[in-house]
Amino acid sequence: MLTLLRDLRRLRKTIGLPQPRRGRSLAIRHVDAGSCNGCEHELTQLASPYYDLQRLGLGVVASPRHADVLLVAGAVTSRMREPLLIAYAAMPKPRRVVALGDCALGCNLLGNTDDLIGPVEAILPVDLRIPGCPPTPEAIAEAIIGLIDGSPLAPTTTTVSSTSGSS
Amino acid sequence: MTIPAVESYRERVGAALAGGSRFAGLHATSDGSHVRTLLADPDGSTRLETVAPERGVVPSIVDLAPAAGWDEREAHDLQGIRFAGHEPLRLLVNHDPALERWVPVRGDDVYQLAVGPVHAGIIESGHFRFHLVGDRILHLDAQLFYKHRGLERAAEGKTFDEGLAYVSRACAACNVANGVSYASACEEALGLAPTAELRRARTILLELERAWSHLNDIAAICAGVSLAAGNNSFAALTERARRLNVVLTGHRFLFHTIRVGGSELALDEEQTQVAREELASINAAARRGWRELLFNTSFQDRLPDIGVVSATHAERLGAVGPGARAAGLAQDLRADSPLLSYEGFSAVVPERAAGDVQARLEQRALELWQTFEILDGLLERPIRPAVAEAGGEEHPIGVGRVESPRGATSCVVERRDDRIERLRLRTGSYANWPVVAYAATDNLLPDFPLINKSFELCYACVDR
Repeated sequence: MLTLLRDLRRLRKTIGLPQPRRGRSLAIRHVDAGSCNGCEHELTQLASPYYDLQRLGLGVVASPRHADVLLVAGAVTSRMREPLLIAYAAMPKPRRVVALGDCALGCNLLGNTDDLIGPVEAILPVDLRIPGCPPTPEAIAEAIIGLIDGSPLAPTTTTVSSTSGSS
Repeated sequence: MTIPAVESYRERVGAALAGGSRFAGLHATSDGSHVRTLLADPDGSTRLETVAPERGVVPSIVDLAPAAGWDEREAHDLQGIRFAGHEPLRLLVNHDPALERWVPVRGDDVYQLAVGPVHAGIIESGHFRFHLVGDRILHLDAQLFYKHRGLERAAEGKTFDEGLAYVSRACAACNVANGVSYASACEEALGLAPTAELRRARTILLELERAWSHLNDIAAICAGVSLAAGNNSFAALTERARRLNVVLTGHRFLFHTIRVGGSELALDEEQTQVAREELASINAAARRGWRELLFNTSFQDRLPDIGVVSATHAERLGAVGPGARAAGLAQDLRADSPLLSYEGFSAVVPERAAGDVQARLEQRALELWQTFEILDGLLERPIRPAVAEAGGEEHPIGVGRVESPRGATSCVVERRDDRIERLRLRTGSYANWPVVAYAATDNLLPDFPLINKSFELCYACVDR
């Protein structure tokens, strides 16, 4: 195990990720509303040593009750409409909704019309759109970091960050 | 095989299964006028046994092939077929809100735990209903299809080229395997045969997909045991494999690399050399990481005898892929793939093929070493764009089968002229979900995430 830890320490130095400018945090809840699993695989990579989003105070939390941000992937299917609305309703205010990936934005949707509701904005107010099929981990990281640092949403996120510990 | 006309559909399927054929899928035509069972014969060939419903009813084959259970439930929900003898025929794609229609589990202290469709981690949506006594799982019902997008229905009437987008959208993680099975099905229907160069291009793409997928699976199993160092190490290797995909094809998940009737993959000598060097480096790092995992006792202690699926039950339930091989069933479509470039390939199984989490983890490592070796050989020389050769016999129905990272994937394409009349994609994940539910039985609830990750199935290409 020491070998793995040593390799990881070396990898971390090689990658040389910058440290955050100031201590803030956001708690994120992910909901897959009907994706192809591409967005989920890229989101998972955000925790890997190449991105290490936790260092910025960004973490995926287990429940929408703990979350500041609802990160929704996929075009919303008719069967996921209700679970998505329940997750949103469970979040404390203020809350933000991020639509992740082209499907969530309503680009080139494929499927049977009876089985699809449409893009996330068809049923929830969307604050931030992250395009891509799927968006790369860099694109996801940059967009979410923008929610904390110097983004159009910055004034409201100062109150959002008070619900979870700073980094 | 000559079959007397008097034999019924059930008798024909029963005789084929008794003769060593395996069930490989069942679907109804879009108008519900026919039900077809796909059988894979021991010599690698496939055939369809077709029956026309009488007043919407066909005899069930679920007693002959338990693996047909989900297929029959799907054909009931989507095409309105009723299956005589399949009792109770519970809803699968359509969700039944009535609790009493779940499998009833009764007894002292039995309670239900409902999990999902929204999960605690970054996981696809699906619902698990556990029936428990304390922490012990008596029964698990998996209710998927929350992500059903009706992709197959939407593809009907499209051209073969257009159909590829629907198959690709089914699942990012199995995009190449699903795409190749679809392209092969279309090419069989159109009388096209892949050339050696096309076979090599597709095999390279299939093995690049398996490389990142298996690295990701090992990372996921480490996460299931909360071994952060193992999880991070293999997640980093997964990232390197995806970055290599960008260098070679322009896309981390190899999107848009598969075409019906050809391939545009072009890698010159420099690119193949870069790929071989990076793959050799990832291979070396993965082997170093694997040794570390082997000697980590607290990690290893979580793995044996958890989520056991014996060879008998794996066979009975129609398990495919690493899960089946880890139980000792040396079945791998790559060993008999004349449309791909797997010359000399034979399936590996672990020495201790116990069908538990430990065996499924080891299976990933053994297959990774194979994949690195296959890729090194296939990338020895540059690869050029290629097309399939025309002139073969055309068919009204084409079948394509590919060994995806999660097991045998079958695609059936029924054509009307040059358009799709019916498309059915039955992926390795689809075959294996009932096996996961079985594997959870009698285990502790806190071990379920680990059991689930030891299969690491997709929901997207099941739900479609």
